Amino acid sequence: MLHVENLTKKLPDGRLLLDRVSLKVSRGEFVGILGASGAGKSLTLRCILGLTKADSGTATLHTEACGGKSYDLLTCKGREQRNCRRRMGVIFQGFNLVKRLRVLDNVMIGRLARIHPLRSWLYGFTDAEAAEALEALRRVKMDMHADRITGSLSGGEMQRVAIARAIFQKPAIYLADEPIAALDPSNSLGIMKLLAPLAQETPVVGVFHQPEMTARFCTRVVAIKAGRVVYDGDPRLSHNQLQDIYGDELMQVLRPAPTTPEPAIAESSRSLPVLANFA
Amino acid sequence: MLVPLVIVSAWLCQVRFSGLWHDLGKGLEVIRFFFPPDWSSLREMAGPALVTVLLAALATPLGVLLSLGFGLAGARNIAPPWLRTTARALIGVERALPEIIVLLLLVAALGVGPFPGVIALAIGSVGMLGKLFADAIEEIDPKVLESVSCVGATRWQVIRHAVLPEVMPAFLANSIFRFEVNIRASVLLGAVGAGGIGFELSKAMSLLEYERAMMAVLVTLLLVFGAERVSDWLRAKVMDGGRLA
Repeated sequence: MLHVENLTKKLPDGRLLLDRVSLKVSRGEFVGILGASGAGKSLTLRCILGLTKADSGTATLHTEACGGKSYDLLTCKGREQRNCRRRMGVIFQGFNLVKRLRVLDNVMIGRLARIHPLRSWLYGFTDAEAAEALEALRRVKMDMHADRITGSLSGGEMQRVAIARAIFQKPAIYLADEPIAALDPSNSLGIMKLLAPLAQETPVVGVFHQPEMTARFCTRVVAIKAGRVVYDGDPRLSHNQLQDIYGDELMQVLRPAPTTPEPAIAESSRSLPVLANFA
Repeated sequence: MLVPLVIVSAWLCQVRFSGLWHDLGKGLEVIRFFFPPDWSSLREMAGPALVTVLLAALATPLGVLLSLGFGLAGARNIAPPWLRTTARALIGVERALPEIIVLLLLVAALGVGPFPGVIALAIGSVGMLGKLFADAIEEIDPKVLESVSCVGATRWQVIRHAVLPEVMPAFLANSIFRFEVNIRASVLLGAVGAGGIGFELSKAMSLLEYERAMMAVLVTLLLVFGAERVSDWLRAKVMDGGRLA
């Protein structure tokens, strides 16, 4: 379904942030991306979404609906890019919901690209769509909070609403950027238990920091180290494999700090200017 | 540096403390002429008072709409840099121009009457509201806008479904406050040709009808005080509605 090949992203000084990252995600898979901070996990997702421009490589999304269309994710622009994004349900670390809207309205946002802009401007969602949005909320066990103001929810609740929004979007693939990094252990477990069954219908690609979670729920793990894919396979990693993936980070704790400071770069996205998140 | 400046200014402004006592006495004498207020003119004041209120009531929504456009155009997270710079510059120029000057220019172009007053107040609102709106929009978490555009929404859909809901309470509260400011400004503009209670006041003063002028002052006080109460009440309502509870 999602096919990323040789994705490369360089800093202006030529240093590689992503070095020929390739990964394939098929139907029924729940792929966990692991790696130390700054390894390029989130950056890979941002490139796929077109939020950060990649320097080279390809990313293609094949959909089975509508006679199996393919989308070239890295080169699309404007309307074509909106068409691509509509087929990818994204879940963020910081939930990123519109806090002053009701929970149900936030879920409705998932359908914006599918209805006529004029209708969306008037909030002209049909009763059938509202019922479907409520059904998405029921799936994440948040339907009783449909009328609450989103800003009054807790972090775990907001992440559930964000997942409901992605479900309501009816995407061809779910992309989750550290969906449980901001949550406590019990909420994290709850979110993983929601994502795992979703993956049986629609593939899920998630960036995680918890090898024990990916071992338990994911069907496959891809590990990225310094911008390179160093592992792609069984989610149950051995102690030695984990040390390989996170090794440099561990070594830095023991050694004095490196002399080259972390580069702070502002990356402008295509539609809205935002600070790139390289975590 | 400051002391010579003060002395020179005092000399140029013909400040004479010796005469102050004497003039103050004369001034108190004049104030006597204002009392009792001419209650019989209250009925005649109702029409002009209404004109003053309507002028502000018409100018405020017009100004709010204009400011919304300027606010969106002047926000870094919505508009491209060239548009933001242009919009912010226009807002700045407007803020530097007092409403009176805008009105005098408009009166020259459109003639005397409430209509140039409405336009002057609407334009005058942009200097304050345009900047406040643009600043409020720029304070929205960029990640929220990014996440809405990630569902495939157009820029206008992002504005409708993320930007407007997030800034709405601040937007309404500032607009209501501007209505209050516009009532006060409307009285002042009335005196220079926009009609209404301000015009009644300046007319009575120049005809030396001090009791009548006092009545106009009382009506003005009532208007401004009333507008303040209404605006406080409405703003409390809006803030309550926008509260995260």
